[in-house]
Amino acid sequence: MMGELILRNLLHRPMRTLIGAMGIAVEVALVILIVGLTNGLLTETAKRIEGIGADIMVQPPSASFLFAFGSAPMPIKIGDKLAELKYVKSVAPVLFQFNTSGVEVVYGIDSESFRAVSGGFVFLQGNDLEGPDDILVDDIAAKTKKIQPGQTYRIFDHDWHVAGIVEHGKGSRLFVPLATLQELVGARDKATIFFVKCTRPEHMDDVMENIRHILPGYTVRPLKDYLSLMTSTNIPGLEAFINSMILLAISIGLLVIFLTMYTTVIERTRDIGVLKSLGANHWFVIRALLAESAALCLLGVGAGVGLSYLVRAGFLWKFPTLTILITPEWILRATGIALAGAMLGASYPAWMASRKDAVEALSYD
Amino acid sequence: MGIAATITEPTEGLLFQGKKSVEPILRTENLWKLYRAGKVEVPALRGVNFEVLPGESVAVMGPSGCGKSSLLYVIGGLAQASRGKVLVDGNDLTELSDAARTKLRRHKIGFVFQRFNLLPTLTAKGNIAIAQFIHGDGFDPHRFDVVTQMLGLAGRLHHKPSELSGGEQQRVAIARAIINEPKILLADEPTGNLDSKNSEIVLQMLRQLNKDLGQTIVMITHNPEATTYFHRVVHMRDGIIVDGVPAD
Ligand SMILES: Nc1ncnc2c1ncn2[C@@H]1O[C@H](COP(=O)(O)OP(=O)(O)OP(=O)(O)O)[C@@H](O)[C@H]1O
Ligand SMILES: [Mg+2]
Repeated sequence: MMGELILRNLLHRPMRTLIGAMGIAVEVALVILIVGLTNGLLTETAKRIEGIGADIMVQPPSASFLFAFGSAPMPIKIGDKLAELKYVKSVAPVLFQFNTSGVEVVYGIDSESFRAVSGGFVFLQGNDLEGPDDILVDDIAAKTKKIQPGQTYRIFDHDWHVAGIVEHGKGSRLFVPLATLQELVGARDKATIFFVKCTRPEHMDDVMENIRHILPGYTVRPLKDYLSLMTSTNIPGLEAFINSMILLAISIGLLVIFLTMYTTVIERTRDIGVLKSLGANHWFVIRALLAESAALCLLGVGAGVGLSYLVRAGFLWKFPTLTILITPEWILRATGIALAGAMLGASYPAWMASRKDAVEALSYD
Repeated sequence: MGIAATITEPTEGLLFQGKKSVEPILRTENLWKLYRAGKVEVPALRGVNFEVLPGESVAVMGPSGCGKSSLLYVIGGLAQASRGKVLVDGNDLTELSDAARTKLRRHKIGFVFQRFNLLPTLTAKGNIAIAQFIHGDGFDPHRFDVVTQMLGLAGRLHHKPSELSGGEQQRVAIARAIINEPKILLADEPTGNLDSKNSEIVLQMLRQLNKDLGQTIVMITHNPEATTYFHRVVHMRDGIIVDGVPAD
């Protein structure tokens, strides 16, 4: 019976139901997309790094695993010391440089050592870095930026000659010769990171032990740990940012439900009086309104999940390099968040309704 | 059901004269009701003494503003009395908490209003069923059939109030009020919004409920003809009852 009452009430004012559900849908989509984009970017970066194929990465003391822009590069000579260690097959020094917008990282690599560590690029077009101004572009970047081999590509105020298009998944989307990048950014004989390949994977722990021994204080980690490190909790400020965004989204849902239920309660003043004349107590009135809000909210959640996938599809169509991760876990969380917000938003109108004087309510026009 | 057969049986009027020993189902003692309008207190009831026996049907008449509705609301536990006693089936409403009055209303009182007051989103059936739902005993199909047939609603149950005539709406409201077998049916000008034909139907049905089911009824009315359907008429003026003469 309660179910029927709620359904009929929702259908009675379709516009109100639609707007209320849309508010919740926007809330849910915001949560899912913000979290999905952050996680997508992080996971995608992590996977690319993992795809390099090295076993260990070595960074200067106190370096963030995020390869933060400002982290002081290390002398390239350290690489020689690493190469001498037992069970080390090869070492590849890489200099990271972010482009001006700060989203894209360019790898300065030494072709030979990078190939030794990573097993080499898969060339889809063109050839490897040969001249000092050569640049390699991965297929995804080539597609979005519409780059062809032989073209000139300008980055860091420098004209590069596009030497080849490589398959994506080797850490970055853009690769230039290490020496040229060192020169360009004023980091002569410096590297941001060393990727180390062991002779056999089982030697990894021993090698890491040895590296820690000769380079005390340096950050030494297995590449396969990288994925698990790339979560928003490990990035300073990101968690707080996401939480603030979620809070903003909740407030949208809360306000929409509040306004919807508030006007509903006023509109139904006489009905509430009728329910009371039939012997409905405060709790019955509160329950009916909260259940109606919950139903409205769940409608919105459904629409919101759909909206998220729609927006994601739109973005991926326009920006194929973007990764937006929509997980069942976060759909559930967004549902919970929306429901909690809706209950909070509906609680005052529901309480107001339950407190109405029955006689006054019955004479309300 | 045999309803039609019993409708004209001439037992009214005689039934209660020999039964004065029966405990009243409803009794008020020096009942006062004051409304606060800003800083002044408006007395709507000024010492009402009123008794209704089980199975009795009583019409309450009086000029506008004399306190008829106030009396009904206080008796039904919708409004709190200011002074005096209200005994419904042995329970003094003035000593009950708001929650307890609500519970008593749920189990012992049925209301019918001048404006029908059906829930607009529910069908006729839904409007009746929700009273059973609030009552808490769930849907009783047998009682539902008896009541809806008696009120001639069988064919109209799946219509919404907006699709029903005034007379039909009021019959649904009556069905809703009596579906849980209340001790007392309280009706506030139930024919006030109806034409004379529908008024007559509603009044006949109220009389039938009283006779066939023994339903105790207290009805407010402005219509002198309506009183002929009831055992007794009570006249009110300025918040008090001015007589209690039997109708016949
Ligand atoms: N909520 C209220 N606040 C203040 N005064 C009120 C309130 N309700 C009723 N009154 C006053 O109490 C008195 C009795 O009102 P009541 O509604 O009981 O009269 P009534 O006999 O039912 O009148 P009518 O025949 O017009 O329905 C009136 O003077 C009315 O103005
Ligand atoms: Mg009145």
